[in-house]
Amino acid sequence: MNNEEDIESALRRLRPRAPSPALVGALGRELDAAPASGRGVILRWAAGLSAAAACLLGFLLFGRAPATVAPAYQLVRAEQPPASVDLFDPVRLQDGSFVRPVRVRWSNETHWEDQRTHTRLINYSPSEQFGLIPLETY
Amino acid sequence: MYDAHAEQDWRAWFAEHGARLRLIARQWTRSEADADDVLQEAFVRFWKHQRHLPGDPNALVVTSIRRAALDLHRRTDRRTLREQVVSADAEAVMDFEPEADPRLQALARSLPSLPAEQREVVVLKVWGDLTFEQIGEQLAISPNTAASRWRYAMEALRRLVTARTYE
Repeated sequence: MNNEEDIESALRRLRPRAPSPALVGALGRELDAAPASGRGVILRWAAGLSAAAACLLGFLLFGRAPATVAPAYQLVRAEQPPASVDLFDPVRLQDGSFVRPVRVRWSNETHWEDQRTHTRLINYSPSEQFGLIPLETY
Repeated sequence: MYDAHAEQDWRAWFAEHGARLRLIARQWTRSEADADDVLQEAFVRFWKHQRHLPGDPNALVVTSIRRAALDLHRRTDRRTLREQVVSADAEAVMDFEPEADPRLQALARSLPSLPAEQREVVVLKVWGDLTFEQIGEQLAISPNTAASRWRYAMEALRRLVTARTYE
């Protein structure tokens, strides 16, 4: 073992100690699971994120209601406040007649409640309609 | 020899190469346990995500080990000096299987005596099967520096083995 080649050759004859069975076991737990392709990883992430979003939405909507029981909502209140009417100054149309623009605004509000959990949904739907009232001139 | 592209069974591949990979991991870690952790992290990453990449799979897995070891160093930098010393004392474990040839025994016992920068070049060349150019890339040194460290290491080993053989 007097020159570089001898030493390199002798080094190559040395046998590194084998990894412990514990390490091989740990690798097995990670690698023997279903193979993860790039697409599979993306799909799993997408599915996981979708599930998380659904859970969050469910929590926000249904509060303390158990996720496994479908809520049963019943109508408990319906409101239609008086409409507001806005009348505008008359305008003259191309044919010479006069009209008065009018705008009507109203809203419908319904309350739905799950009697079991007292969770309440409020459905508010505003509406607006615009029209022209013909005017007669003398 | 190290073709992992076509290999489907990680156990067969690891049975053939695990020992040398662990020796490489051991060069860059402070303890046996750290070497196991680093090799586990690096091999899982390599096998799941990198073995089908173009290029030399052997260099890829060594790079993966190097990266995992550096990550571990960053995470454990706050470890106290005392813990490191205790750990180093407790880990006086031989890296090689016992040899009947007294010259090989002397060589195995001499390797840890090399300066770390020389020892890692030796390990990467002999058991990593890397060229000086690849070693340079791994260690961010020039190929000439890697070759120079190799020559110093060979000379030091020659002296150490001669001394130990006739002890």
